[in-house]
Amino acid sequence: MSLAIANSIDDVLTALAGGARPIAGGTDLVVGARQGKSPLPESLIAIDRVPALSTIEQTDGHVRIGAGVTHSRLMSDPLLVERYTGLADAAALIGSPSTRNVGTIGGNVMNASPAMDTGAPLMTLGAIAELRSVSHTRQLALSDLWTGPGQTSANPDELCVCIVIPQTPAYSGSAYVRLEYRRAMEIAVVGAAASVVLTEDGTIASGRLAMTAVAPTIVELVGASEAMTGMAAVDAADVIASLASDQAVPISDLRGSDRYRRHTIGVMAARALDAAARRAGGERIGVPVNRNLGIGAAR
Amino acid sequence: MTTTETPRFVRADGPDKVTGSGRYAADLTLTGMLTAKFLYAGVSHARITKLDVTAAKKVPGVLAVLNQADVPLVRFGSVADRTLFAHEVIRFEGEVVAAVAAIDAATAQKALDAIVFEYEELPVVNDIEAAAQPDSLLVHENWEDYAADDDVSRQGNIASFTSIARGDVETTLATADHVISSRYVADASHAVPIEPRGVVAQWEGDKLTVWSSTQVPFQARDGVCETLELPTNKVRIVVPHLGGGFGGKCGFHYEAHIAALARATRRPVRLVFSREEEFLAPDRRREGMIVEITSGLRHDGVIVARKARILLDNGAYSSDASFFPHMAVMHALGPYKIDHVYGEASSIYTNHQPSGSVRAPTAPQACWALESHTDELAKAVGMDPVAFRQLNTVDTGATGVTGQIYEEIGLQECIREAVAASAYHEDLGDDEAVGVAVGWWPSFPDASGAYIKVDSDGKGVIITGAQECGTGAVMTLPYLAAAELGMAPEDFEIVYQDTSAAPYDTGATGSQTLLNNGRATVEAAREIALQLKKLAAEELEASPEDIVLADGMASVVGSPDSSISIVDLAGIAADGEMLLGRGSGSPPESPTTPKTVSCVGDQGMNAWAGPQFSCHAVRIRLDRETGVVRVLEVNTAHDSGVIVNRVGASGQVEGGVLMGIGQALTERTVYGDDAKQKNAGLLEYKLQTMADAPPITIHFAEVYTPDMGPNGSKPIAEAPNVATAAAISNAIAKLVGRPVRLLPMTAERVWETLQDERA
Repeated sequence: MSLAIANSIDDVLTALAGGARPIAGGTDLVVGARQGKSPLPESLIAIDRVPALSTIEQTDGHVRIGAGVTHSRLMSDPLLVERYTGLADAAALIGSPSTRNVGTIGGNVMNASPAMDTGAPLMTLGAIAELRSVSHTRQLALSDLWTGPGQTSANPDELCVCIVIPQTPAYSGSAYVRLEYRRAMEIAVVGAAASVVLTEDGTIASGRLAMTAVAPTIVELVGASEAMTGMAAVDAADVIASLASDQAVPISDLRGSDRYRRHTIGVMAARALDAAARRAGGERIGVPVNRNLGIGAAR
Repeated sequence: MTTTETPRFVRADGPDKVTGSGRYAADLTLTGMLTAKFLYAGVSHARITKLDVTAAKKVPGVLAVLNQADVPLVRFGSVADRTLFAHEVIRFEGEVVAAVAAIDAATAQKALDAIVFEYEELPVVNDIEAAAQPDSLLVHENWEDYAADDDVSRQGNIASFTSIARGDVETTLATADHVISSRYVADASHAVPIEPRGVVAQWEGDKLTVWSSTQVPFQARDGVCETLELPTNKVRIVVPHLGGGFGGKCGFHYEAHIAALARATRRPVRLVFSREEEFLAPDRRREGMIVEITSGLRHDGVIVARKARILLDNGAYSSDASFFPHMAVMHALGPYKIDHVYGEASSIYTNHQPSGSVRAPTAPQACWALESHTDELAKAVGMDPVAFRQLNTVDTGATGVTGQIYEEIGLQECIREAVAASAYHEDLGDDEAVGVAVGWWPSFPDASGAYIKVDSDGKGVIITGAQECGTGAVMTLPYLAAAELGMAPEDFEIVYQDTSAAPYDTGATGSQTLLNNGRATVEAAREIALQLKKLAAEELEASPEDIVLADGMASVVGSPDSSISIVDLAGIAADGEMLLGRGSGSPPESPTTPKTVSCVGDQGMNAWAGPQFSCHAVRIRLDRETGVVRVLEVNTAHDSGVIVNRVGASGQVEGGVLMGIGQALTERTVYGDDAKQKNAGLLEYKLQTMADAPPITIHFAEVYTPDMGPNGSKPIAEAPNVATAAAISNAIAKLVGRPVRLLPMTAERVWETLQDERA
């Protein structure tokens, strides 16, 4: 096995073109190898010391979050906490403090677990992944990136260099809520993210929801915006809960039965919507919302 | 109550552990050392048809491949049903079929892959109720051939049976005003020490040294001697720092396998377990259990009769579990004043990993069932559950379920103080409730020994057979020795967990270390105190009886100016009759079984020496839409006698509570239809984390207990693990409207119970 350390994105891309695999925090790759899930790749290129991958930049109408930005930064960066709060909620729930100190947003997104925490809020915030190789750069919607559990449409020579999220409008808010059995080292049983924009009278102008661990990938809730536009969030909760339960295609496993997941995804969706709308209305709910409201963001 | 405060407690092993300089078994490296790996059966029930290691032995870098044919055919265990390696029949997935020693792990793995292991699968025995039926497939066809203590009552798949009868249960139930029956089912769970076990073995001539992460070095030694047919003085077991045990490292495990590999290869050999192996292979897991309890009540709330029937999942082999049925019956009958009782329990062979002592074996599950049932009883007569317990539980002078009459005990103080510290009588937040439960646990008097020497500079060494498993019990010994000798705890070093250096001790099991080895250490210190007084008397021209030892000085009583330092005395002694103390003392006597009780399969549990009592009150919040329960506060009160080391004892209570919360809510081992574990890892076996730890308050009901541990103490290590799940259950039942009858009470099970209640 070989491990090289990259200093620049170009270093990384050259290594990938030569067949290497990227490693940042190693919280999925190394842990997976130790558990016998899949052996470590023969050739690794360490990307955690590439400065250009760990910036958070506001550009015209967007925020660009470097793929190497750690969860610890995602959960505490003032801009993200203020404007992209659902993402900060999710980052704050991942693993333990040590996981969050080394794990990165790029790793979480490209690992493509259907139970990943940052995926659902990124989807509701309209994020796209920027992939780069020695020959090209392309931007891909997350729904096009994730093709199955642990599978993406990225080519082996492509590196996710950043996540690009459009600027959020006024009167908007977002939240991510997850069903968890303990408060650290937990993996979502189910989870839901919501982003909403309110009108001046406080009703919902538009919104998006996405769901964690109820399908082979993170999935967006279809028809959510139409179902809740014009309603007060509190009135939309039941509609959204039913939509979520209807659209979920959960499996039964050690973490929960399909019946239980189908029910609880509705609960989480309603809670995510509630928290997102309250934030859109100006209420300060600390990150993560899971801890700052009742159990699992219960009111 | 008198309080013996430990002014400050600095663990001698603390700095090593927190700085990382401490060495554990897996850290040891010896010249020429080989790596061991095991081939596990990987199937739950099968007849071996072929085992050919020829090719494995030829793998370059492999120095030995052993199986049962290479070691004596010795059966061991509390029922002698086990062999070192699988013999003819596989009975659980984690059974060791063969062991390899090779130059490194990758080579050892190649050898494992080259072993030809073929078998004919047999139907699995996966369900204890079915296995208890007389026509069930037998896990051990030849069970009658196995040696066992005469008191162990066996039949077919029933590896051990106990019944306790007192009074006339049926007639009393028939005339009771209320009769309530409950059934509760607990899943199996695990001890999960943070350190997966390691074993290193090395021979020098015909003498064997094994470094092992065991809680019970002398039992490990005896196991090696029994299975490899060696005398005890040829086998030395040394335990480096131990990274926790919780019972999972009690008993004899792999020391003989690695010793046999080391002998075959003439090289040191090391085994280090993965986390998955730690879950699958050892014969120590907390047993699954079915508990059925029926109680009869008068209108005024007095319990007049109780019967209980319990099935325990023994697993494939008996490990140390033969006494579990007797213990489980005691916990299902409980610390109550009931004159008419009948309880019976059977530990049933299955094709699961064997059960064995995990912190307070049988107690958390049986207590959970009994105390949940108790709240059902209180509800039936419209009484407050606390008042109901105050009416029916034992107090000083009361007669318990087996006729034992209790000397001074603090259970009522425990109930009063735990409830008083809780929010039981306060207005609570939405979806909050406080549940209360009581628990008990015996003390285990046993033989134990220690030496002490004080050298020429006045510094001492305690050489003890006791094992430190992390509780701090061994680390408390210097405080006891220092108090006897008027010296400082820091004056003593400890040589411990080495079977060739020190006299016998049972090990870190049964909460017994401070009870028994504390006694031994005090005895040894007293021998030195006598020597010091004699020496001082000569120097000070006084009578030895008039010498007092305090603050590092030996002084004539009433004449403080007439004194000599212990350092000076030690210097004098070093040139002549040296300061050497030895102690074991006589273990306290266990109470005899009251004549009013008839008992089949008596494992010595009818009457308890130094019974410890506890009451836990737990405030929870329930998320009604998901069934998720969060523990907000735990208020505990324990009668463990006078507390010798408050810091250490409090640590035991806090740890026991957290372990109890895990058992209550998240920890379970799930078996597939193939009788194999489905969640043998920390991802899907959900321990509680520090982030989940609630505030915990502790009250010690310090009842001076004569003829038990040092200073009137009783043990503490297991007792805090008894009543937590039960208290959580009662809080959940208040909010849900009925108890959750499955343990752990997972979020999904709570939610399903809520659905049933609504329906």
